[in-house]
Amino acid sequence: MFLKVKNLVKHYSSEFPIIKNLSFSVKKGELISFLGESGSGKTTFLKCLAGLEKTNSGLIELNGKTLNADNTFESPQKRKIGFVFQDYPLFPHLNLEQNITFNLEKKYEKNLDYILKLTGLKFLLERFPYELSGGEQQRACIARALIREPELLLLDEPFSNLDTTIKESMREEIYKIIKKTKTTTILVTHDINDALNISDRILIFKAGILQQYDSPVTMYCEPANCYCAEILGDMNKLFYKNDTYYVRPERVRVSKKKSKYKVHVEKCFFQGKEYKVKGKQNNETWHFFSKDPLEENKNVYVDFGEKDLIYFDPVCKNFFK
Amino acid sequence: MGFTYIEILSYTGPLQTFARSNLPSLSNFLNQDYLQIEVLGIILGLALYPYIYTASRISFSMIGTNYLNISKSMGLSNFQSFFKVVLPLSRPAIFSGLFLVIMEVLNEYGAVKYFGVNTYTAGIFRSWNSFGDVNGAIQLASILLVVVLIFFLIERISLKKSRFYYNKNTQLNIRQASSGIKPYLYWIICFIPFGLGFFIPFIFILNNSFETFYLADISKVINLTWNSVSVSSIASLLVIFFALFFLYVERISKSKINFYISNTISLGYALPGAVIALSLMILFKGSLLVGTFSVLLFAYVIRFLAVGKSPIQSSLEKQPDTIDDTGKNLGLGPFSLLQKVHLPINKFALISAFIVAFIDILKELPITLILRPFNFDTLATQTYEFAVEEMLPLSSIYSLIIIVLGSLMLLILKNYIDKQTDVSKS
Repeated sequence: MFLKVKNLVKHYSSEFPIIKNLSFSVKKGELISFLGESGSGKTTFLKCLAGLEKTNSGLIELNGKTLNADNTFESPQKRKIGFVFQDYPLFPHLNLEQNITFNLEKKYEKNLDYILKLTGLKFLLERFPYELSGGEQQRACIARALIREPELLLLDEPFSNLDTTIKESMREEIYKIIKKTKTTTILVTHDINDALNISDRILIFKAGILQQYDSPVTMYCEPANCYCAEILGDMNKLFYKNDTYYVRPERVRVSKKKSKYKVHVEKCFFQGKEYKVKGKQNNETWHFFSKDPLEENKNVYVDFGEKDLIYFDPVCKNFFK
Repeated sequence: MGFTYIEILSYTGPLQTFARSNLPSLSNFLNQDYLQIEVLGIILGLALYPYIYTASRISFSMIGTNYLNISKSMGLSNFQSFFKVVLPLSRPAIFSGLFLVIMEVLNEYGAVKYFGVNTYTAGIFRSWNSFGDVNGAIQLASILLVVVLIFFLIERISLKKSRFYYNKNTQLNIRQASSGIKPYLYWIICFIPFGLGFFIPFIFILNNSFETFYLADISKVINLTWNSVSVSSIASLLVIFFALFFLYVERISKSKINFYISNTISLGYALPGAVIALSLMILFKGSLLVGTFSVLLFAYVIRFLAVGKSPIQSSLEKQPDTIDDTGKNLGLGPFSLLQKVHLPINKFALISAFIVAFIDILKELPITLILRPFNFDTLATQTYEFAVEEMLPLSSIYSLIIIVLGSLMLLILKNYIDKQTDVSKS
């Protein structure tokens, strides 16, 4: 494995650990999304990888080299890790070219033209950070990280400061750049769409513990627990064969025939392609989609396949609400 | 300013001379002994009002007009909005300014000596200088230190209680400007403290300087100007060096101990100059250092470190931690991070720190009087010596140079602040 994290522990006070025994590994060239709520310790984890925060225990290995272990700590200056921070910290006293080539070793200078072409910044070299848009600043930070040919690229919420309109195009652009340069990348985000759209694998993190680490499709269709299920989208709760199950809104169909599941429609929102319906089924709030508008305060029948039902361990249900 | 106003108000001064010729009925009323504590209070108020003015101005500009608009939409008049919203929100800033005013008054020596008002600082000088009673001076200095500490604690406690965290809104609604006679009235009211506190004394000093220019010893004037500028420059450089050192260590280490050390050394600004000077005299008693520039510079650094720290600190605080993290991630060590990132980014703040420390040291009196090397005079000490010997016109040229140098530095400072604002806007 290219990146190996084993039993990583990080805490500022031992009573409230931020990362508890985190273990996972990443293959070379993979793009991993690290998904978790705000304040869950995602950025701290990235800082531990980059050596900007010290870990309390555990092992971090990159490309066969130990970065963190019991008696080893490689300083951030010596790790070949590129870090793109959330707030695009370009040095304000330097222009774009000076920012990208800041403290750059001679052997990487040859990469400048290629990186500029890749990031589309060739004609902005003389500009200072305040003369660049948010997207341009972000690409500059990525260029600054990639020009050094990092073994690992860390992206900390890179799209959180962007407008929804440019966010999507930026996401695609960055994906292309990363895949073209075959850079192993960890993307930290709290936005599920970022994770689902561009990741090879997703790692869900809650209360300092790894909840699930899988491909986006497996993650969505076979969530390991209620938290993973909920974080990836709405879930409808139902009682079936004396037990509690869940079904994704996408799997629920409006049925013209009478079925076992009757929903009292509370709200029907138009969402462009179709209508999103909110209603009550057996006192549980349900969401599903309909091609046609449904009348509010009326009952409709819905249906779904048995294979679409998701079952969780009863203890796990505590994660809900 | 105290010397100047007494000269203006004196029997032979321009005001009473004018009254005797044109308003005889008023001349008896004006013929008073102005060397009174109340007059000194007013003069110190005029001299020190910029502390409150600056603190209030910064606070008002941070509050902006949003809160005013909200309070007006809730039915409050301009007057009510000021007292119910703006003033409570600005209380911490005004109180900090007031604390500095109190410290400055406790530190004041030249004017209080001239007015014959017995303050702790005047007492320390009298015990030490006139009676040769070092123990008495130390006792007074210790009491003064306790008084300062009490004020300091009151300031900290009250700030803690009344510090508000509000959304800063620096946008001002230009349409708020009044029309008709009101703007002129506001302008006149705002001009009063500036006119009385700067313009009138400045014109008077300028006039005196022209009249007594032929009496001035030009080589001495040049010599004292050089002394003042060189000692202020060296001390200011030391101030920014130590201020930057402590602040940078505090920033990169993120340790609480360094935070407390950095904050404790800033307390020097709350210590009156006479107390610092006497402490150093005692500390270095018997050593060859007494009466040398080293001790004088050391005292300036203790007294004005906080002055130099303030602009550097606020500039460093504006730089997010990710700037440091990025630097480290790109291979910089602590020293190269300072050299390649923080020094260039914070250069305007460093220049501002140099200028404010320079101006303060240029006009400093108690420390210079006590610790200066033998036969070493500055513009401030010469102004004071002429004034207490009732040779005010002769002191004017030295005062004028202090004012001109200070104003020049302030103009440069304004230029740098404007540049800094431009950069921070971006």
